[in-house]
Amino acid sequence: MRSWKITPKVLPTLVTLFYTFLWAPAIVLIVLSFSNNKYGIKWEGFTLRWYAHIYNNVGVRNALTSSLFIASVTVVVATIAGTLAAYGLYKYKFRGRKFLRTSILLPITIPYIVTAGALLVFYTQVIHIPLGYPGIIIAHISFSVPLAVFVVLGRMARIDWTLEEASTDLGGDRLTTWRKITLPLLLPAILASAALIFPWSFNDFTITYFVAGLGTTTLPIYVFSQLQYGTSGPVINTIGTIFITLPFITLLLMNFLQKKEVT
Amino acid sequence: MQTFKVMGRATENLREKAKKFLTKQAHLPYVGPISLWIIVFVFAPLGVILYFSLLTIGPYGQIIHTFTLENYLALVKVGFAKVFLRTILFAFGANMVCLLIGYPIAYFIVRHGGRWKTLLVFLVILPSWTCYLIRLFALKTLTDSSGLINSALLSLGLISSPLGILYTPYAVMLGLIYTWIPFMVLPIYAALEGLDPSLLEAAVDLGATPLRRFFTVTLPLTKGGIFAGTILVFIPSLGEWLVPLLLGGAKNMMAGNLVSIYFIKAGNIPAGCSIATALTALVILIIYLCMKLGGEEALERIV
Amino acid sequence: MGNRESILCVELRNVVKRFPGVTAVDHVSLKVEQGKVFSLLGPSGCGKTTALRLVAGLETLDEGDVLIDGKVINDVPPYYRDCSTVFQTLALFPHMTVEGNIAYGLERRKVPKDEIGKRVGKMLELMELGGMEKRRPTQLSGGQRQRVALARSLVLNPKILLLDEPLASLDRKLRKEMQVELKRIQREVGITFLYVTHDQKVALSISDIIAVMRAGKLEQIGIPNEIYETPRTKFIADFMGAINIFSGKIIASGDGKVQLETESGSRVIAPENKDIRSEEVTGISIHPELVELLPVEAGLEGDNRFRGKIVEMIYQGDFIETKISLDQTGEPITAYLSSIQDRESQFSPGEEVLVHWSLESSNILLD
Repeated sequence: MRSWKITPKVLPTLVTLFYTFLWAPAIVLIVLSFSNNKYGIKWEGFTLRWYAHIYNNVGVRNALTSSLFIASVTVVVATIAGTLAAYGLYKYKFRGRKFLRTSILLPITIPYIVTAGALLVFYTQVIHIPLGYPGIIIAHISFSVPLAVFVVLGRMARIDWTLEEASTDLGGDRLTTWRKITLPLLLPAILASAALIFPWSFNDFTITYFVAGLGTTTLPIYVFSQLQYGTSGPVINTIGTIFITLPFITLLLMNFLQKKEVT
Repeated sequence: MQTFKVMGRATENLREKAKKFLTKQAHLPYVGPISLWIIVFVFAPLGVILYFSLLTIGPYGQIIHTFTLENYLALVKVGFAKVFLRTILFAFGANMVCLLIGYPIAYFIVRHGGRWKTLLVFLVILPSWTCYLIRLFALKTLTDSSGLINSALLSLGLISSPLGILYTPYAVMLGLIYTWIPFMVLPIYAALEGLDPSLLEAAVDLGATPLRRFFTVTLPLTKGGIFAGTILVFIPSLGEWLVPLLLGGAKNMMAGNLVSIYFIKAGNIPAGCSIATALTALVILIIYLCMKLGGEEALERIV
Repeated sequence: MGNRESILCVELRNVVKRFPGVTAVDHVSLKVEQGKVFSLLGPSGCGKTTALRLVAGLETLDEGDVLIDGKVINDVPPYYRDCSTVFQTLALFPHMTVEGNIAYGLERRKVPKDEIGKRVGKMLELMELGGMEKRRPTQLSGGQRQRVALARSLVLNPKILLLDEPLASLDRKLRKEMQVELKRIQREVGITFLYVTHDQKVALSISDIIAVMRAGKLEQIGIPNEIYETPRTKFIADFMGAINIFSGKIIASGDGKVQLETESGSRVIAPENKDIRSEEVTGISIHPELVELLPVEAGLEGDNRFRGKIVEMIYQGDFIETKISLDQTGEPITAYLSSIQDRESQFSPGEEVLVHWSLESSNILLD
């Protein structure tokens, strides 16, 4: 029986090419990070020395610590602010609601470079805060809150809110209801947004680069400076591998969270 | 005694009014913090850019606080216009290629993915979760004259000298496509997944060959996904800075690079601000046009 | 009186269709005559929709043949088959107007524009959709959408119209109206219908022939009267509402009658059927509305008279569902008491009654 469904033979080839194109650079990078080549551009035998090198490298360790610190602070503040904002947006009708919703999206719509420049000027010329951690964290929060808001908002639409009503009916005040009912219901979404925000903050380069000033180095900034001085290809390969494995960890985390949500 | 009574009643009145007002503002504790934040850290900086774009710098690099339009007038010069035109061209071109490649990919995943559907989708999303500096670096390593692609082609004897892929407009386009294609595939995938299969059967039952069915039913009904994808690819590409920096070189600058040059290299904040404002205006214009053509639904879908 | 053999519009010959883990259509053969309404009736999962889709070409056969107009069309793709489907979900194109939807098939056939306009116009008239041409499906009522779906398929003048439970999503009143509409259109246009449904009321009211399906196989084919009054299996009897079903064996015959003894010991009389062997009989079914309730004094002489006690009476609006337990055997019998009867007799639960049904009401079951 001939099938009349549309299956051009061309499609599978195109698809394989596509995935190869998408993943080849990353895979090559990972492979080369284990290569014994001084410039990290071709294969010359297996070695772990580059990994040992970055383990001992103070610059890398500091940059990593900075990145982790910034990401952690950002996640905490952004998820709290974002969850509250999502709750307010979903539950209440107020003047300027639509405007607020669009404004939250603003940082993401405007080109990164423009926001980066704007913040740079704002920090140095207007509010005069020293460039570095405060400025970076502020910027990261501005970008992460939209993520939190929309993930939590999305989940809120699928929750049975009569549970909150039941709680108040049974005598719970606002705070208790929040603690015992609302928060647990929203927890999966909150955790999911945290799982998205952390890597975003950790990965961010453009904004961080502009507002970091001279003293602060995050991991992406470290990589960039290495790139500029053209010194160590292998080091970038190894750090790059770490960056590439991050999404997989995020993925596993989200999978785990989804399973928790089911139970 | 009397006065105390009157005062007591007055304060009670006030308290009543305050309570009524506060309950009406029940949303405040939730959206208050974020609203304040947005005003201070989003609107204000943008306003600041606008403000500074109307200033100039003096001979020692200090800022002169007199309003002038000379930065904007300077923008009209050929050099700048060229860069802006190139920016639009690159972004648009990348968008089209992403669409032409992305649609078949999404189609394949939906129609022939089967058990592997989720895996295939994740394989498309995951790269976008990697630090894109690293991705671009990896791409650069691969396409460099001493990189893998060239050494492979050389050793296979297909070329006699390394291909100069980097520092060409093609490299920039490649970088843009490489960075943004996941964002085209995803909305189109969502749109295709949401397609009612009985509509496709009805089309075929009424006499449409699979090809006709695609153009008369599938494509029109996935229009929203295409528009969402365009917004997610075209707009960010306009503001790109890193891709042209790493892969394009001095000859293939985009508007974003101009901003950074003026801010950092030349230390000319007003000029940088004016380019930034011009770029933002361009982006807003294109968003507006896209919405007009594609309708609000596309935006709703992303959100 | 015309041809000996009526024109066959659609034929299925020993058709088999398997899905992983289940045989949806299991060696089904049937013949649909031109101009008739042929219904496939059965519970969900019996394979009736699959059989329909095999005719449409939306599924491919594993074995057997499908013929339209005498020609085998197994390998012909759906867009070249001369049949048109009205889907359960209607599948109206949301991005096209009513006109656009109806014209779709014609456009695919490259019919010239002015002719399309004419035919679409005529169809809109026939379906009483005048004035709705430029509307979108979402702006129409359920009944209107129904008619657009019909129009879209009919405008192509197919040899056969395939309908997959098209009335399932309508409310009761609308369903009744649409049933009448469908029958009228079918008569007017003279087109053959292959109708799939799980609702025996619909099947009984519109069909010329009903084929009952169960678990992929055909159980019985016949005209509506046959299927309703003489279902051949317990399954069909139950499906058609003859809920008084008793298993038993024939113990005596003669005089044009047979006597069947049920498992609980009741003796039921049924008409003799020369075409059926006594050994094949497995039971008897009686429609509840054919069971009469009489006061005890009426006496036990005659066929199928039993004393019993009313166990329950459930008000159903148009009748009263009365459950009786037979005194002698404890066998449960359900009778549908009409409002008139109820007013006359004033029965109540706990009372002793006489249960009676006529000889012809007993239906012999073969499985």
